[in-house]
Amino acid sequence: MSDDAQTQQKKGTEHPISLIINEVVSIFSDMGFEIATGPELEDEWHNFDALNVSKDHPARDMQDTFFIKDKPEHVLRTHTSGVQIRYMEQLVKEGKQPPFAIVVPGKVFRNESTDAGHEMQFFQLEGLMIGKDINVANLKYVLTEFFKKFLGEDAEIRLRPSFFPFVEPGFEVDVKHNGKWMELLGAGMVHPNVIKNCGLDPKEWQGFAFGFGLDRLTIVKFGIPDIRLFYQGDLRLNQF
Amino acid sequence: MKISYNWLKWYVPEIPEAEKLADVFTMHLCEVEEVEKKDGDSIFDLKILPDRAHDLLSHHGIARELAGQLGIAFNDPTPKYKIPESKSTNLKIELQTENCRRYSGRIVRNIKVGPSPDWVKMHLESIGQRSINNIVDATNITMYDCGQPCHAFDLDKLASEKLIVRYAKAGEKITTLDNKEVLLKETDMVIADENNVLAIAGVKGGKIAEVDENTKNILIEVANFDPVSVRKTSRKMGIITDSSKRFENDLSPELCSFAMVELSGLFVEYGFTDFEDVVDLYENKQQDRKVIFSVDLVNKKLGANISADEIENILKQYNYTYIRTGENFEITPPSMRLDLNIPEDMLEEIGRVYGYDKVTPQAPEIDFKPEVNKIFTKIAYARNKLISEGYNEVMTYSFCNKGKVQVLASASDKKYLRENLTDGLKDSINLNNLNSPFLGLDTVKVFEIGTVFLGDKEETRVAYGDKKKITEITIDEYCKDILPEIFSERSSDLFANTLSQTISENTSGSTNQIFKMWSLYPFIARDIALWVDENISLESIQKIIKENAGDLLVKEPRLFDTFKKEGKISYAFRLVFQSKEKTLTDEEVAIPMAKITEKLVLDGFVIR
Repeated sequence: MSDDAQTQQKKGTEHPISLIINEVVSIFSDMGFEIATGPELEDEWHNFDALNVSKDHPARDMQDTFFIKDKPEHVLRTHTSGVQIRYMEQLVKEGKQPPFAIVVPGKVFRNESTDAGHEMQFFQLEGLMIGKDINVANLKYVLTEFFKKFLGEDAEIRLRPSFFPFVEPGFEVDVKHNGKWMELLGAGMVHPNVIKNCGLDPKEWQGFAFGFGLDRLTIVKFGIPDIRLFYQGDLRLNQF
Repeated sequence: MKISYNWLKWYVPEIPEAEKLADVFTMHLCEVEEVEKKDGDSIFDLKILPDRAHDLLSHHGIARELAGQLGIAFNDPTPKYKIPESKSTNLKIELQTENCRRYSGRIVRNIKVGPSPDWVKMHLESIGQRSINNIVDATNITMYDCGQPCHAFDLDKLASEKLIVRYAKAGEKITTLDNKEVLLKETDMVIADENNVLAIAGVKGGKIAEVDENTKNILIEVANFDPVSVRKTSRKMGIITDSSKRFENDLSPELCSFAMVELSGLFVEYGFTDFEDVVDLYENKQQDRKVIFSVDLVNKKLGANISADEIENILKQYNYTYIRTGENFEITPPSMRLDLNIPEDMLEEIGRVYGYDKVTPQAPEIDFKPEVNKIFTKIAYARNKLISEGYNEVMTYSFCNKGKVQVLASASDKKYLRENLTDGLKDSINLNNLNSPFLGLDTVKVFEIGTVFLGDKEETRVAYGDKKKITEITIDEYCKDILPEIFSERSSDLFANTLSQTISENTSGSTNQIFKMWSLYPFIARDIALWVDENISLESIQKIIKENAGDLLVKEPRLFDTFKKEGKISYAFRLVFQSKEKTLTDEEVAIPMAKITEKLVLDGFVIR
């Protein structure tokens, strides 16, 4: 074999989701966010209760959540939001205090039938910033800056009313890219109950949280037609 | 929830035109899934948010919301309904469970079942509902109008004029209105007479007391059931109705009063006059609550500068009962607004109406020094290293056919969590080996970094290899050389360095890189080798091949072998042909191959 042929295949290729995770994390890292991680098999306290998702909330039904056999009160995490709780609990345990800013990339699971837009496993990124006076204006700034860097200077965002149990108020965030609004993430001001559940005083500390699907972002960035292509182990996917 | 513009207009005559209304909904209330224009009406399909489903799954609710939001008049229909003086009643209702929070029953005699008046049919059809008969239609109109599910029983089919609300006994059955026999459990709340179960409370009516064309006397039910109980029964049975959907979102029991007036009023319009008194069991009345909040809280959390007067104006528009003390407000939420409980709920009310678009983005200032995340750094380091060694990254499923941890009730046949990465990697290698000509790889080398589940713990592992050998070790083991650095003061440099290496030019900013979906039909690979003079460039040969290969050539001609002999060079190329429409035959590939060969020969090259 010639040198040329060897050089051609010397370097391996990266999974598109990894490319996106690194890119996203790097942008937030430049903005002063710390990276936090947590377990994929999570207990119900961190996945639901502490996040103000009540015991009889529809999301806890069997059809959405993977419960674990012979391991009561444990689930495959349905979102990366549980790491919010773990981070704040640890902070309190170490006798520290906010302010802080974290992003949490990680794999999450949903017990649902799959199609081009839905998978049983996918990646999410959660963001959380808590301080004395962190507000909606700050959330708008952080998300606008992020999408300008990620999608290009012409990117815009807008907040619409939405609802998630762990925030109040809650927003759906649309991002304008190539002249079109896309619904890309959920966000909101952290619910006082969540802050209280972690052992912090919600009268003293406040902040925002947001979360989006990294698979979805990868799809938007590269125009990949089907989310299921990500987990087939098929190298034809690694085009970038 | 389908909402008719014309229906709304009846309550809020000043609403903006349909096109503008869609924007009002989107930016200040909830998502509009679709706007359909039909028969001079516009039908909005609104995705009502879960915390407002108790008051907004109704035309009333939406109209009241719009009146508040836009500061326009709301026409209260209550005075319009004039019910004739009712007679005394022998109806008995017994509540055996507190999960029936209110039950209003009323007997109406000498009714006539028949087709509905045109306006009723039109209203139902506008929101995609079918007219059944005047009685059922009246209960449905009431539900879509004010949000309260109602039901009518044929009084003469009951064992006596007595209803019991209780939990089912084990083994009891009911045949529902759509002729399905349902076995009941002790967790199912039901409406019964002294002999039989007549309805699944809040979910569906039964056949026994069904209203039919011969029905003369009816008993109407306007009740309130516990949301969790209704949801559990409805989910377990797989019977989800417009009624169960409303109850499971926790309706206010106060709503029953209006619904009884409205339903009776519709019957008056039908010409029925023989009404008995309402039997209304409502022991634990919904209590008024107070929510106290300050202008300061609103602005501190929104990052805005809204004045107390502006806030007061919003409260006025919504007709809230409130007391203002300087910069502080104490409000008593309307009984339907069960979502308003804490100051933050009012903050959302204000913010939503004021408009989040008016909040100016502002850079946050916090005094925080991020620490390096060790796991993330290790993963990024391992990935860079493997890629630099020629390994290609894959991600496979966390689910598999065997393992130490099993998930319950999976929608998939793979019910276990993987205890290794190797099995997934083997499948990946097999798949990619079949595609190796397409991928342009002589040896398929892959890796995965991911979590495995070992029963008592989960572990992040690295697995890499080819068809001969796969190595799987923990991330710590793989990164042992850099572990000291990760735990040292230089860790942030390592992190930044690792991350910058891994960022591809393809991902930063706007990219023109667009994914190319491969064909689902098999490809065919063909090789061609030729002698060329040393002064002939590789590119010029590749160009000739491409120009003559036609549309079926899906990859760049790949040089896979080259050697020199007596001043000449031998180049061997691999060509990959594939169609997006069908499986190619040898003959179909022979055509472009012949054309390429012919052209190369014509240009004086010697084909080996």
